[in-house]
Amino acid sequence: MLSPYLLLLLVPAPPLAVFLILGLDPFFLRRKAVQALALLGGIAPFFAMLPLLGLCLGTECYGVMPIFTLVFGQSEVALALLLDPMSTLVGLTVAAVGALVITYAIDYMSDARIADLRRFFALMNLFLAAMLTMVLAGDTITFFFGWELMGLCSFFLIAYNTSLPQAVAAGRKAFIITRFADAFLLAGLLLLFLEANSVRLDVLIPAGTMMTEERHVVIALLLLAGALGKSAQVPFHTWLPSAMAGPTPVSALLHSATMVAAGAFMLARFSPIVMSEPAVQTIAAIFGAGTAAFGALSAIFQTDVKRLLAYSSISQIGFMVLAIGLGAPEVAIAHFVVHAMFKSLLFLAAGDITHGSDLGTSLQAMRGALRRRPISFLAYVAGAASLAGLPIVTAGWWSKEAILATAWEGGAFGIAIWVLALLTATCTAIYAFRPVFEALQPEPAHISHARRGHPVALDLHYRPRWGSGFITLPLVLLAAGSLLGGIIVGPIIRFLGAEAPHPAHLPELVAAVAPFVGMAGAAAITFVPALAAAVAGARDMRRPTRLDRKFQRWVIEPYVRLVRFLAGNRIGARAEAELELRHVQIVRWLSRGARMDGIYQALFVRPFVNIVRWLNGHRGGTVDPVGTFPVSLALQGTQALVERLAHDRFDRFWMRLANRLVRLWVLVCAIQTGRSRDYALGAALGTAALLVIAWGTTWN
Amino acid sequence: MSGATFLILLALSGGIFATGFFGLMARRAILFQLISLEMMLAGPALAFLAGGAWHGSQQGQAMFVFIIILAAAEVALGLALYLALRRGADVEDSDTITGLKH
Repeated sequence: MLSPYLLLLLVPAPPLAVFLILGLDPFFLRRKAVQALALLGGIAPFFAMLPLLGLCLGTECYGVMPIFTLVFGQSEVALALLLDPMSTLVGLTVAAVGALVITYAIDYMSDARIADLRRFFALMNLFLAAMLTMVLAGDTITFFFGWELMGLCSFFLIAYNTSLPQAVAAGRKAFIITRFADAFLLAGLLLLFLEANSVRLDVLIPAGTMMTEERHVVIALLLLAGALGKSAQVPFHTWLPSAMAGPTPVSALLHSATMVAAGAFMLARFSPIVMSEPAVQTIAAIFGAGTAAFGALSAIFQTDVKRLLAYSSISQIGFMVLAIGLGAPEVAIAHFVVHAMFKSLLFLAAGDITHGSDLGTSLQAMRGALRRRPISFLAYVAGAASLAGLPIVTAGWWSKEAILATAWEGGAFGIAIWVLALLTATCTAIYAFRPVFEALQPEPAHISHARRGHPVALDLHYRPRWGSGFITLPLVLLAAGSLLGGIIVGPIIRFLGAEAPHPAHLPELVAAVAPFVGMAGAAAITFVPALAAAVAGARDMRRPTRLDRKFQRWVIEPYVRLVRFLAGNRIGARAEAELELRHVQIVRWLSRGARMDGIYQALFVRPFVNIVRWLNGHRGGTVDPVGTFPVSLALQGTQALVERLAHDRFDRFWMRLANRLVRLWVLVCAIQTGRSRDYALGAALGTAALLVIAWGTTWN
Repeated sequence: MSGATFLILLALSGGIFATGFFGLMARRAILFQLISLEMMLAGPALAFLAGGAWHGSQQGQAMFVFIIILAAAEVALGLALYLALRRGADVEDSDTITGLKH
């Protein structure tokens, strides 16, 4: 009888098949066919997941679909797909969000040239397939395969506008930084394999929790580092804001359900290993809470709506890592589900509102949204409310509240984290509603209606996009999910086998007030001219306040000195001038993501570039030192030895021999004809000779 | 399988191999050289089959499958090179392309 778990194979298969068809394009598909195929590949996984959910809710929610098994002595390499509550839930979320984003992209990208369109949808489908493979993986090899494939797809998709150098650079940056962190994950997984002699998760994770102390710490730390890199957590966060160079649907998929969320999912998947090591757990909690706070603070001061949302993703995934660090991976997964809905909604709505604006995706491009794109604007408000966590009516409130309550119950350390998380939640509301209030302001005069904005699409004609169901349907569905999803937060946590935390009334009340305080703050910095000017002016570093000066002296200047020290005083003149400015401010610092880019540039990129230049003969270096070193050594050796012994009889005899060798060389060179038939003959004769020798030596 | 059959099969495979090798040497057209190469692969493949049958082992058949895969890969590369040469340099004769030695 066929196993019902065969369905698991059908989940990542359709997008993978569509990737192959669109990527190879054997049928020279037309535009409509490409779009239809992409839509099919995007939606099919969701419908394949539905019966699996039914299976999971109805009967036993645990099943393994083996794909391929190889046994090496004691070790076992068994590729498999796994159905358990976590993979069902996350897989369903990913499939649903992926389907909606691809539906949206059908209309959003419809102006692209056919070749670009094919490339885009092929990669989007591969991206989705990779994430689904990773989520449903039952062994570490399949898991890592999906993980890496996603990194590759994100590189290609971020660099989608290949004509823009900064897009290509952003893609490269994302790829290199995540690759760097992936190395940690690979090391951790390999150590786990050595420990468990199996790659299957159901064997590996229990074995991982039972090993000796020191290995355990190392493995847990390696896994954590891998997750931090993929999820763009501090200190690996720099690639995510630059990744905004990709088209909006890419950002929507990359930020909500795939890629950055994969790190949090990985931690939740391996949470038994992380959680049995309290020290690593505390580190995870501190990194998570710190990143959440840092991301939220940075997001407030962004002037570009997509960058704002990028920092918001960093912050929200920090919350998930925090929840895992607090020992509640179930809560983290619940937040994952809710975050996937509202973050994709925010990106899609913002993308639709700013699509075609001359101002790109800056906050000003949001202005006048209520009149231009009312549905998108309302959807954005729903998403922002969920992100800010308005009490009761939004899904974000329920999942964030569960994280806060978990922190509150965690003793003194937990309460410290709770305070930090609460402040973060307030900041979240500020940055969530900044674009909303900005959008309420009147439209600036020079927004162009006549041009739709994708750089690839610029040379194409404008097509009015009113009432396209491809845009509206995903927005409406996601908005409904972001608002009503709160109902499912409790069931999700129970479904994953834990109890939803029950917070005390006081902290809950305080947490309920926080979003409103944040909203008031957002309204203040948008509508009070003095404050708005202060934020804008602060970004331009014009008017330092007294607080700024203090901060400058105690935080910025030591930091700048550190950066300069690490750079070895070799930063370019422009960056130097920037650093020299007396009034570098907190805002600027935060809006640049803590200048971590500068440190990376100074620590890694510059030395690497310098070494390469040196190896190529710039800056007094030698060209190809590895190749020239033996040659120069030999030359010096001959000079030192032969010159002294020159011009005697022995030397002449020796040199005659050498000259004969040259003649011999000329003779031997005659063999080298370049004709393949001669070489074939040579190979045959050589083989025959070897055979004869072998025959002769084994003759008895 | 009797010993005589085995020897006949081995001789046959050696013959196929030798024919292929002769073709490779005698022909100068790239396409025919590729065909000869395929024959040179087919000879040993038959020898493996015969040897596997003689020893009652499945490894001979496994090697046969490997050789088929190898042959497929080789002919794919070879035909691609052939097409590229035809299109790029309009070359039929393998003896005229000797530039790789430089």
